[in-house]
Amino acid sequence: MEKEPIDKILDLAEDLRWKIGDDFHDKLTEGIYADASEIVSNVTRSENSGGRSRLDTRIDRIVTSKTWGFPIMFFILAIVLWITIVGANYPSSLLSDLFLNTIRPFLKDMAVQINMPWWLSGFLIDGVYMAVAWVIAVMLPPMAIFFPLFTLLEDFGYLPRVAFNLDYLFKKSGAHGKQALTMSMGFGCNAAGVVATRIIDSPRERLIAIITNNFSLCNGRWPTQILIATIFLGAVVPQYLSGVVAVSAVIGIAVLGIAFMFFSSWLLSKTVLKGEVSTFNLELPPYRPPRFWKTIYTSIVDRTLIVLWRAVIFAAPAGAAIWLISNIDVGGQSIAGWLTEMFNPLGFLIGLNGVILLAYIVAIPANEIVIPTILMLTVMITGVAAGEGAGVMFELDSANETVEILRAGGWTLLTAVNLMLFSLLHNPCSTTIYTIYKETKSVKWTSIATLLPLILGFVVTFLVAQIWRIFTG
Amino acid sequence: MNYNPVTALAIFGIVSFLLFLIFRPEKGWLWKWKKTSKSGGKTLTEDILKQMYHLEDSGKTADIHILRDALKVNEGKLVYILSRMAAKDLLHIERDRLILTKSGKEYALSIIRTHRLWEKYLAERTGYDQREWHKQAEKMEHLLSKEETEKLAEKLGNPIYDPHGDPIPSPKGKTAEFKGIPLSRLSKGTKGRIIHLEDEPYHIYEQILKRNITIDSLIKVEENDKNRIVFYSEGEYFTLSPAVAENITVSVIKDEDFKDPGYFRLSRLKEKERARVVSISKEMRGESRRRLLDLGFVKGTPIKVDLKSPMGNTKAYLVKGTSIALREDQASKILVKKEKV
Amino acid sequence: MSKNTNTGCEGCPQYIPDDVKRLGVDTGDADYVVALAGNPNTGKSTVFNTLTGLRQHTGNWPGKTVTRAEGAFIYDKKKYKLVDLPGTYSLLSTSEDEEVARNFILFGKPDVTVIVVDASRLERNLNLVLQILEITNKAVLCLNLVDEAKRNKIEIDERALARDLGIPVVPTSARFRKGIPELTKTISEVASGEIVCKPHRIKNMPEKIKNAVKKLSSELRKQFPGLPNSRWIAFRLLEGDKTIINALKKRELV
Repeated sequence: MEKEPIDKILDLAEDLRWKIGDDFHDKLTEGIYADASEIVSNVTRSENSGGRSRLDTRIDRIVTSKTWGFPIMFFILAIVLWITIVGANYPSSLLSDLFLNTIRPFLKDMAVQINMPWWLSGFLIDGVYMAVAWVIAVMLPPMAIFFPLFTLLEDFGYLPRVAFNLDYLFKKSGAHGKQALTMSMGFGCNAAGVVATRIIDSPRERLIAIITNNFSLCNGRWPTQILIATIFLGAVVPQYLSGVVAVSAVIGIAVLGIAFMFFSSWLLSKTVLKGEVSTFNLELPPYRPPRFWKTIYTSIVDRTLIVLWRAVIFAAPAGAAIWLISNIDVGGQSIAGWLTEMFNPLGFLIGLNGVILLAYIVAIPANEIVIPTILMLTVMITGVAAGEGAGVMFELDSANETVEILRAGGWTLLTAVNLMLFSLLHNPCSTTIYTIYKETKSVKWTSIATLLPLILGFVVTFLVAQIWRIFTG
Repeated sequence: MNYNPVTALAIFGIVSFLLFLIFRPEKGWLWKWKKTSKSGGKTLTEDILKQMYHLEDSGKTADIHILRDALKVNEGKLVYILSRMAAKDLLHIERDRLILTKSGKEYALSIIRTHRLWEKYLAERTGYDQREWHKQAEKMEHLLSKEETEKLAEKLGNPIYDPHGDPIPSPKGKTAEFKGIPLSRLSKGTKGRIIHLEDEPYHIYEQILKRNITIDSLIKVEENDKNRIVFYSEGEYFTLSPAVAENITVSVIKDEDFKDPGYFRLSRLKEKERARVVSISKEMRGESRRRLLDLGFVKGTPIKVDLKSPMGNTKAYLVKGTSIALREDQASKILVKKEKV
Repeated sequence: MSKNTNTGCEGCPQYIPDDVKRLGVDTGDADYVVALAGNPNTGKSTVFNTLTGLRQHTGNWPGKTVTRAEGAFIYDKKKYKLVDLPGTYSLLSTSEDEEVARNFILFGKPDVTVIVVDASRLERNLNLVLQILEITNKAVLCLNLVDEAKRNKIEIDERALARDLGIPVVPTSARFRKGIPELTKTISEVASGEIVCKPHRIKNMPEKIKNAVKKLSSELRKQFPGLPNSRWIAFRLLEGDKTIINALKKRELV
């Protein structure tokens, strides 16, 4: 048979490959660089042979020094978090006031005026609108502060130095130093943290960073932690200590999250991910003054609004679902009632209750609406006089009232502690799950990222509950 | 239902323990069950062939006792398989001696080919640690068909040597020349190049890896007696026991080919010293190697330490005007030569 | 649109002429396709944003632009579609970014490839430049961050560089919109064929490899007359690149 000409060429190539040996790639790259350095020596004149600017070197000597490296890093991180938490408070309450106390009554009135049936207005306004409004009010302000700050640090070029400083810790757990940044980003929002893993160019370490990002306590979960720590943990100690105890509990949970992140990174790199290709290199780019307004603009458009939009898309059906299960009765009880009863035994076993588990299922789209959903369901099930009716999420300004409702729902100190743990260790929100799928394009890694923290959550809360009960009789 | 936290904990403990027993890698039940169910004769047959080939290659002959001890199978099963193999004309039995036939030898070589190709594949295209290669290849050698093996070879560019330096037999059963002497037999002052690191038995291979001894390194034997062997390589002195040195193969080179003096590993470069890149070790493979080359770690490039991470291990090197951080294990696989100021 | 081009720049010496119209993401029926390549951290995305009037964010990180961004502008009545390729150090490895960048230059056959380099780190950047010049004949070197280089006391003779590389070189400082009008003009001249490039070919290779490449590329040219980058295809064949082998078989390269 006559050979195709192309096959002849391929045969020739194969033949030549044998002759030139297996270091062709090395030789070619060496050749290109040799050409490059010839050209450069022809065309450039430089008084700075090292190539790096003196100022950069000087800054680097300080920010990566043994003495100053870590203090500077923690100081900057603390400032960023402080500005975010403090700065978000005011706009958050403003927004929720606007959405819940101004727009919602207006919408309700409108519905009455156009004779909308109660179930439709309930479904649309109490269900869909409330969930969306809640997510925006709680999520938008902190993100709109956190992301621009983070982006400014990024544009300046400081973040690669953080990765450099912390690389040893991450190497020990089989991860990449840059995971320090994606992890910090996760404190703002896990979905954004997952997207940020693109900066890690090694496949194995990138997957590790994606799967473990959920262990960073995100901005949707901070309020839950702070609330529960304040009203339950703060209450068991003398008044003057309560603030300190509450704050330390929340920080303790965040640190526990970091510990789990390291642990599961190590576990993953030794098991399911050990076959993935792994490389390491970290370029420390020159410092460049960030362009302030441009950075603010792009980080709000590219990060904040995109994440918010996704959250809203997922929150709307969740609001609808919450309203529906609370308002559709089957056999004399609402669906929510049936489900709560069903989940109660499991909830009890892990020191929680059916309401909490149900809230975590329906509130998958956004951690922000977990507490309002829990309150609404508790009121509905226990029949305490509070809130605005079946399917309408709410929160209370008064800590005492909140505690009373929760206690009526059977909450104890154990429930509070385990809720804090479970809030840290459970599946990522649906926005994050979807983002993980988009980034990895793999059902396998998405499921692992979803189930790993959930299983850990069950195990940890279960153990805590049993040990707690043994010791408290 | 009676609930008691102690009972709950106990049940949890028992369930976790059972899961552990079932799913534990290598010693778990699931693993063992999979292994025995698959090895319906084929795996054992192939393992026997390989074992016999290696024995014959080193001038020994196989008998049933050697095979029984090496493969850890019961004698009854072994006898049964051996008789079936004899019937298939893979080996013939002369009294108690077992000898491979021509087709038996060819079969053995094809298994070895698959094994070594797979190791090469793991080394070049995946992130598996070198400690894993052998174990994985032991499994794959029984699973890949002839066509799959050839496809793999083509994908890898028909390599001649596996990552340990062993020659890969060609599809027709030819092996490349392999001329080397175990390090333990070299006398003081001999110079050579490490061409092979034996990966069996594992506990010795582990020691070789721990010392960071790498293939293709130039060495000079400094001391050799009953107790220990000391050699110089890439700026460092290595001391080994004879048993470990036995598993390192060296090809002796002439004095004028020994260009080593002054070369050392980048990981040993001190701050404020200037050096030039000499080469990247062969142990730096696949994507990692290409990445380093692209970043400018090529022969002749001036290099110096730019920054040290406060926690150690990672250092940033100044290469062609940019600061690039590498970890210590990477830097130990780049050879440099100090620049005279 | 025109608002973007004017903000804060009336005072600059290099005021952008009015005949450039930034079209943002409207890339339909373009006359020319322009690819934008370069190492990470060279200000490539700033060049992209300045040319198109878009505001795509990329951090001070290597490897931020993973997806391909597209934009467009009109210059001298012709519409140019600009494709921002992922920032890479090379086109020879197998990472996803590099494959995206390489495939676009190879199969997308852009009318012009603009290569953005950091003037302070020219040598490291030339690795990519020289590789691209093996693939395509129509390229412009955008010597970016010249202000930073000047501050670091690095002087570059652009004419000598243009002569050595065989392609036009435009010094820019995209952050401050310096040199952008010249860049647009040069792009249009290369696209229309007014400027003909004679790109540099890699010279420093061991004899053995040189001969092998020569032999293979002349065979390739015999089989595929009009193949613009036979040498580069030869490189890839000698590395056993499956994508290229398949593309050759399907005759996608001519």
